[in-house]
Amino acid sequence: MSIVANQETRVVIQGGVAGINAANRMAEFCHLSRLPFNVPAFVFPPNAGKTADIPYGSGLVSVPIYATVAEAVSDHPTINTSLVYIGAERAFDAAMEAMEASNITLVSMITEGVPEKDAKRLIQYAKRTGKVFNGPSSIGILSAGEARLGVVGGSYDNLIACKLHRAGSFGAITKSGGLLNEIMWICSQFADGITTAIGIGGDAYPGSDYTTYLEMFERDPQTHAVIIVGEMGGNLEEQAAAWYGAAKRRIKLIAVVSGFCQEQLPKGMKFGHAGAKEGTHGEGSARSKADALKAAGASVPATFGGLGPAIGETYQSLLASGKAKSIPGEEASLPKLPMRVEEAIKAGDVFVEPVLKSSICDDQGDEPLYHGYAASDLINKGYHIPHVIGLLWDKRLVSPVEAEIIKRIVMLSADHGPCVSGALVTIIAACAGIQMAQSVAAGLLMIGPRFGGAVTDAGKWFKYAVSNHMTPEDYLAYMKRNVGPVPGIGHRVKSLKNPDKRVSELVRFVKSAGLSTPHLDFALSVEKITTAKKDTLILNVDGTMAAILVDLKFPVESLNGFFILSRTIGLIGHWVDQNKQGSRLIRLFPYLANYTSAKRREAPLLETKK
Amino acid sequence: MAKVLEGPGMTLLGKWGMQVPRFVVVTDAAQIAKLSQANPWLRERKLVVKAHEAIGSRMKLGLVKLDCDLAAATKATEQMFKSSHFNISQVILSEMISHQAESYVAVQSTREGATLLLSKLGGIEVEDHWDKVKRFPVPLGADPTAGALEKFATEAGFTGDLAVKIAEFLEKLYRCYDQEDGTYMEINPLVVRESDGVVTALDAVVMVDADARFRHPDWNFTFASEFGRPYTQNELAVLEIDSRVKGSVKFIEIPGGDTALLPAGGGASVYYADAVLAMGGTIANYAEYSGDPPDWAVEALTDKVCSLKGIKRIIVGGAIANFTNVKKTFAGIIAGFRKAMAEGKLNGVEIWVRRGGPFENEGLAAMRALEKEGFNIHVYNRSTPLTDIVNYALHGE
Repeated sequence: MSIVANQETRVVIQGGVAGINAANRMAEFCHLSRLPFNVPAFVFPPNAGKTADIPYGSGLVSVPIYATVAEAVSDHPTINTSLVYIGAERAFDAAMEAMEASNITLVSMITEGVPEKDAKRLIQYAKRTGKVFNGPSSIGILSAGEARLGVVGGSYDNLIACKLHRAGSFGAITKSGGLLNEIMWICSQFADGITTAIGIGGDAYPGSDYTTYLEMFERDPQTHAVIIVGEMGGNLEEQAAAWYGAAKRRIKLIAVVSGFCQEQLPKGMKFGHAGAKEGTHGEGSARSKADALKAAGASVPATFGGLGPAIGETYQSLLASGKAKSIPGEEASLPKLPMRVEEAIKAGDVFVEPVLKSSICDDQGDEPLYHGYAASDLINKGYHIPHVIGLLWDKRLVSPVEAEIIKRIVMLSADHGPCVSGALVTIIAACAGIQMAQSVAAGLLMIGPRFGGAVTDAGKWFKYAVSNHMTPEDYLAYMKRNVGPVPGIGHRVKSLKNPDKRVSELVRFVKSAGLSTPHLDFALSVEKITTAKKDTLILNVDGTMAAILVDLKFPVESLNGFFILSRTIGLIGHWVDQNKQGSRLIRLFPYLANYTSAKRREAPLLETKK
Repeated sequence: MAKVLEGPGMTLLGKWGMQVPRFVVVTDAAQIAKLSQANPWLRERKLVVKAHEAIGSRMKLGLVKLDCDLAAATKATEQMFKSSHFNISQVILSEMISHQAESYVAVQSTREGATLLLSKLGGIEVEDHWDKVKRFPVPLGADPTAGALEKFATEAGFTGDLAVKIAEFLEKLYRCYDQEDGTYMEINPLVVRESDGVVTALDAVVMVDADARFRHPDWNFTFASEFGRPYTQNELAVLEIDSRVKGSVKFIEIPGGDTALLPAGGGASVYYADAVLAMGGTIANYAEYSGDPPDWAVEALTDKVCSLKGIKRIIVGGAIANFTNVKKTFAGIIAGFRKAMAEGKLNGVEIWVRRGGPFENEGLAAMRALEKEGFNIHVYNRSTPLTDIVNYALHGE
């Protein structure tokens, strides 16, 4: 048994992220207590129409989010409780909305920093309509084994440690959230645990006070004793004492009060919760409260530390009188909270077959490692982009001369003006208002057998020829027979008479570097034969790059990457250039198109089948 | 609740039609000459000069000067700013109001609404005749009628025309309290100005609800401390952090104590303060963090706690948290401790820890590991009752 919240409690949570977080904790409690999840709806206008997916056991429950409480209650007529997680500025309106729903009998406000006047108006409305308004600033309400409203009770391990999956004999009412959890722990260690624990919040005017709930506990046969944790300020503890002393009560009352330090501190030095303020004329001091509670017959330990023994003593007397029975430990048979995969892997409990394998870059630490080297370490030690290319494309730190060659390849291939296929397409896209990533990607899509994309193929066949010890003549014959035009040979405008300066510069540098360059040498000997046949059949920039990169032992698969990477620099430049100029849409004039389609004629009538 | 200083408090009363003395607030005595050009009353009237600070018993401390002409007022102002003991940053100059009788009126928030308090005997006499103060409850949402207030004034001993004027004043005071989210407003003394018979508020205590600030864009003032002295720099620094983080951090300095408090939770923290004093110790501060504040805010709070002068021990207490991440908030405390240790602030200082809550094992282990770094630290988990570490700290384990 319990008060306020039980197995029939169905909750609408008003609020966003904080509300969803609370729902997650509440679902954990339902899982532990083997109960259905008790939150059928959220109300949060900004996300209305969506759902929130709440982990429950090993699955997810999709909970609809509504714009108004009325809609939520209409779709889910079992809802009888609202938890308000709406910010202080709108908390009043949210709570009023909930209280206006006829099915809702309990509204508990978690929001902190709610103006006192708003709380007082809500108290007045609740009183007039016979509803329970709990809070503001409440940590929540928990009925052991029945319902958890809010994050009260903390982590799953703590729920089990405090035996919150089943009812004990003690009720608890506190302003402080932390101390409510502490009391639940003490009750589980010195006694048989709690029935219901309620956080009323530490504001000046709690919506429901000790007395409200003491009366309910008095009527709950399972609850035999109630612990209240009082604070200086206000007169709620005095009212509780007055209620307790007014008649013979079935429940035992155990109470502590904080704020004795006030007696020794400079006048006016006040701290703790908002409600912890002494009256202007001395009323509401810790001492007057403790004295009133004692006089009413409550057990009032001198310190918080005295609570455990006092609770233990009460429990022993309950056992002796047969009102409480000792409950055997059953923690071992309680459902476990399904572990998240990360936790289970960490604990070594499961093996998960990976979906992909990556052998170049590890991002699991505080920064990415390129083939094991931290980017910041490389930077600090003076490495450059070519080294990063070497690490990520071929998993090795390239030598200084290799790095210089790669740098030169990137520099000389970075751009080739606006008229080549890639740049032209990027420019047309830029002028059509397309964003950078898409425009540059469009330009890159042009890279293929006729534009910039012959590096890999050229490298592949040069490598084939050299590893098979072919002569240039054999190679050309083989290519003619089996492949077709030789990749890396030939240029649309460059020729022997009009040589490509990029190629000659690169070849000069590589030859002067003292490297072994069998593929470059082979490619140059092929060029000698082809240019003899036709002036424009020179070793082009793709072929030169390919031969050199194969000599540098870069994988054939990576070779087109050098052109793609380099030319991306140029394509980005063209896109920026067009945008800065504010260029207009490019449209070809009709005279630039050769129209060869059929002349205008009349379309025949459409035949319709009968 | 939040205290509003006299100047802005009087402005609030004036806003709702109550007569208050004319006043100016200065931050430098040199401003008075210029102000007296625009405000002839400063030259023509007798003046009252007061330190405009949250300092109790200003009269006894010599921080109030009565019956000054402009020259005397300027001199008094200069002296107040010069006082190195009080560190005065504002002085208020207001006109003296000639009057005979002094009355008392107040409005106090209650759970059901408000109570108006009225006494014909005001000034310093009200405390001696507290039993003569009449009370008039105003339920929430029910504005008091003029007739009822007149009857109330008559019951308090006011007669004829004055009863009507007092009733009018009460109506304005209630409206001010209600509309400005007041929690307590006290006018003492309330007087009848001799020159024209207008009921005037000579001095006032104005407290409003700080949580309602969001709906009062014209509140252009900061709140004053409520403990008889202005906030210290370190207290202001923590208040500033508190105003912009999730959760809360709180800090009040209490000079002379040797046990520093760094506990979690608005409820548990007071039990720790109680425990230290009950064990015969003295506290050097009050502090509290709660609502899962960011670790940097807890680190900043730790820095202020470690900077307290003459402390012998720090109590890092706390109940079993519901949702505050113990590992993360302790990481903030640990970072603060390391910094303080490096600055030599923790020489001879013992640290006592007790805590539970989400990630408690990780948080407590991290605290325990500080022992290897040379900290004098004692760490307990949830199985040690809440305030037992205070007993251990003061009287040995």
